[in-house]
Amino acid sequence: MTECVPSNTDLSTPVHQTMAAAESSPLTTHVLNTGDGVPAARMALSLHRLDTNTMIWNMLNVGTTDQDGRCPGLISRDAFTSGTYKLRFETGQYWKSLGQTSFYPYAEVVFTISDPQQRFHIPLIMSRFSYSTYRGS
Amino acid sequence: MSAQRLQQLKGHLLHDNKMSAMAGPVSPLSTHVLNTAMGVPGSNMSLSLHRQDPSTEAWSLITTGTTNEDGRCPGLISKQMFVPGVYKMRFETGQYWETIGESSFYPYVEIVFIIKDPGQRYHVPLLLSRFSYSTYRGS
Repeated sequence: MTECVPSNTDLSTPVHQTMAAAESSPLTTHVLNTGDGVPAARMALSLHRLDTNTMIWNMLNVGTTDQDGRCPGLISRDAFTSGTYKLRFETGQYWKSLGQTSFYPYAEVVFTISDPQQRFHIPLIMSRFSYSTYRGS
Repeated sequence: MSAQRLQQLKGHLLHDNKMSAMAGPVSPLSTHVLNTAMGVPGSNMSLSLHRQDPSTEAWSLITTGTTNEDGRCPGLISKQMFVPGVYKMRFETGQYWETIGESSFYPYVEIVFIIKDPGQRYHVPLLLSRFSYSTYRGS
């Protein structure tokens, strides 16, 4: 299972540069805290795919956003097949760690991948009382 | 008030609010679906409201409905049933786009939110296109 890069990893070392270049995930995210005008760093998130036979969600990866609100290495090209996916963002936990309440305990974005050859960017733009997402590339 | 005037008022009230024809008070929870791609209300969209059981974490269905011409769905929940808890609004957005002959990135949209103070009014709108959506806590 590919892990998102931990936020304290030094990405300048040769090993990690190679890893990042060779395994650039076809699916990326970016979480922005519009309440404070900063990237949402250290937010836990998870990626799931729906098993259409059992209608059960299988967790593919868990990770935490880095200082820039991103989470590289979400999924490998090999594992990225057509299907229904879900990105779950632990927004409630995030706001709580900043000493704030929020209207939403978490945000889940469910989306359909028909052509896994493309690149997909699923950002979450959020405040304590709102959020939005869009399909980017 | 004359019988005729009363009849006029009833006509105004019941015209677009078929779901709440029998319910006097307005739902403390409302929604509004907007199709931002086409600049129109998201009408005839199926949706459902659920509440989570705090001990089992299982979801119970409270209401199902369909948005009206204006993208609204009156009578979502009564004041009595609107207790503190974790709620979920599920919008059948995939079906909606399919009905108008289009594909969409999202098969459905679920918004999960926390109600601490059911004495307030809550508005949970959905602004939607085929490839994006947003929501906010309104009143």
